[in-house]
Amino acid sequence: MAKALPLEGVRVANFGWVWAGPMTGQTLAFLGAEVYKVESRARIDINRILPPFAEGERDPDRSLQNHAGWAGNGSVTLNLKRPEARDLARDLVAKCDVVVENFGPGAMAALDLSYERLREVKPDIVMLSMPAAGLDGPLKDVRTYGMSLTSLTGLDSLTGYRGGGPVPVENAFSDPLNGIMGAFAVLVALQYRKRTGKGQHIDFSQQEGVMQMVGPAFMDYVMNGRVATTMGNAHPLGVGAPHGVFPCAGDDRWIAIAVMTDDEWRGLVAAMGEPEWASGMDDAASRLANLDALHERIAAWTAGFDDYELAKRLQGHGVAATPVLNVADLLNDPHYTARGTFIEVTHPLGFKETIYGAYVKTSRTEAAVRPGPMIGQDNERVFKGLLGLDDERFQRLVQAEVIF
Amino acid sequence: MTEGALEGIRVVELGQAVSAPYCGKLFADYGADVVKVEPPEGDVARRWGPFPNDEPHPEKSGLYFYLNTNKRGVTLEIATPEGREAFLGLVRNADMLIENQRPARMRELGLDYDTLSKDNPNLVMVSITPFGQTGPYADWNGYDLNAYHLSGCGHRYCGRPGEAPLEQGTFAADFYGATAAAAWGMAALFGREVAGGGQQLDVSTAEVIAAVFIGAQNIGGYAQDGVFERRTGIGMPLGAPATILPCRDGHVWMLALEPGQWNGLARVMGDPDWTQLEMFQDMFVRAQNSEAMYPLIEQWTAEHGKQEIMDLCQGAGCPVTAIYTVAEAAEHPHLVERGYFVELEHPELGKVRDLGAPFQLPESPGGPVRPAPTLGQHNDEVLG
Repeated sequence: MAKALPLEGVRVANFGWVWAGPMTGQTLAFLGAEVYKVESRARIDINRILPPFAEGERDPDRSLQNHAGWAGNGSVTLNLKRPEARDLARDLVAKCDVVVENFGPGAMAALDLSYERLREVKPDIVMLSMPAAGLDGPLKDVRTYGMSLTSLTGLDSLTGYRGGGPVPVENAFSDPLNGIMGAFAVLVALQYRKRTGKGQHIDFSQQEGVMQMVGPAFMDYVMNGRVATTMGNAHPLGVGAPHGVFPCAGDDRWIAIAVMTDDEWRGLVAAMGEPEWASGMDDAASRLANLDALHERIAAWTAGFDDYELAKRLQGHGVAATPVLNVADLLNDPHYTARGTFIEVTHPLGFKETIYGAYVKTSRTEAAVRPGPMIGQDNERVFKGLLGLDDERFQRLVQAEVIF
Repeated sequence: MTEGALEGIRVVELGQAVSAPYCGKLFADYGADVVKVEPPEGDVARRWGPFPNDEPHPEKSGLYFYLNTNKRGVTLEIATPEGREAFLGLVRNADMLIENQRPARMRELGLDYDTLSKDNPNLVMVSITPFGQTGPYADWNGYDLNAYHLSGCGHRYCGRPGEAPLEQGTFAADFYGATAAAAWGMAALFGREVAGGGQQLDVSTAEVIAAVFIGAQNIGGYAQDGVFERRTGIGMPLGAPATILPCRDGHVWMLALEPGQWNGLARVMGDPDWTQLEMFQDMFVRAQNSEAMYPLIEQWTAEHGKQEIMDLCQGAGCPVTAIYTVAEAAEHPHLVERGYFVELEHPELGKVRDLGAPFQLPESPGGPVRPAPTLGQHNDEVLG
């Protein structure tokens, strides 16, 4: 394993904030890039002050969720309200291959850090901008939260119980997804640069990124004029039955069962002990025609079982069944434990914390997973080492709250 | 036309349904030469639809059309010696293999990474499955729904208490996993010289969501404090308003948390007296009194349309958005003006509108240019 990571030698200035932009930095960093999140104590990123905190101590360097989401990013502090800080930011960009940001359109230009300005100091820079709805167009200044951005894509209109209104996804589902897509975008542009020597400014609308998930329903609209609505846990194209989440024994325990082939159906019927009602439902069409009644029957059967035991039993019959996990299960589940999905690390401040590790497993190179960054942890390395500031100037800029 | 960013990269895709095909599409839409290998009966997506007028036809599946643009398509029976040889020949000359077969099936076929990389040490193999290549569930049967709910996503964040956890109404785990596979696959490809060769990437779609979405914001707290939270059906239970509310013609995402946002909302509602009550003075107090407040806001939203509400609120600095139907999103002037929709000519479907590229690269534009291949369309030119 101890071989060089594939992105070794790629340096990133990450102006991204909250979640999506830092997620782009994390993905590139896990794969070997040297990533510096540019932030400031003058306006602490809201992601740093979300609870819970390590050992309960409220502090921007102790937010546990922040560390998981930002791990891999380094951190330098620059108070970009100050012209000297902007000069240093451009000096940093001159030494970088990639710039990442997820502010609204125009925010970087207001900091004198537009693509045009950055090109002057680094002609082949790859810049990723990922505002909510893109860099231009009538909705470009739309205000959204990560949680509500999906409403602009049609996705929220599909989420809910069958026949009911939309039910919210209670966190920013699109942030990590777009953060990862942002990393792909950067790498595609780096590949182009490798071949042609040219950088470019990527316009990544998060609305358009998430709307890719609406493709199947979009096609039904385009071809048939049909407008999909809330579908519960049914198959998105209505071709599998049963296809749902069914209650199990215990508090808030459930099992997910998806039957997509007649073989799987026969496996399920066998596991249920060949009940009378199941005869005559051997073809998918009759199961789909009676979906709600079918789901009621299955729910009545699953309700007495332990979810894990039932999943194992159904898998033994070739049926795609899995327990529906809660947060505690994630940490205790033997599968995630075996895969090392979650890992305990020691933060530079001395406390232990649990974050996620490489969320994709690599056979040749081991992902570089480090704890979440402390604010400004890389200031000396970057401003003195990389940019060559002497100690006197560095200290002056720290005291003047430029490096801050 | 400017050439695509990934010009010259050769990808073989052994993909079924959504996950591996969407990953392959991301490469194809940015200029890679993606050869999709299907069994003689075709990718299962050809049978899933949606079909025009709901009439099944293997060349008219909307799902297949959407997920396979810009690819070339060949048919091979890889379980036969001849088919396997032909497949090995394709992989020998490829930079990347993207596949979503069950791990056991790839082993049975003798198509594991060690075998495939013997003659092609630079091969990047991207394996995308619900549960991954290792771990006790690796050989379980599973689909998108199983992976999604194994991630904890529904239990934590989607659905009403006491009712079933929900998925999003689309292939959420497949899309999430495929996007992660594309990013990591592209990195492995880009850095092959640095890393000293190719490698296999093991993507579990369940694990990706469990880690980066659910784990990110929950696992540290649970590991430390031993307590965890679950779905509420509301939106944001600790701050308000932050929920979905009905309006005259549908629903809106009602968000007004910071003081400026709340004042903006109050203003567009006509500053009703109740907004001045002590019990509604900050987002936390409002959340505690949300059962009293949401019906009051609803009285106003019920009389207005979703777009009107969004425009008024956005104009007042309040981040309320309309919950667009798929039709409204598909016709949205903003997306039209940005060129997000493209039109392709397909031999059986005729002219079909499609979603464009997920991100715009000015120097090397991406997006669908050629329609999905018909079954075996490129057998002669690819397999000779």
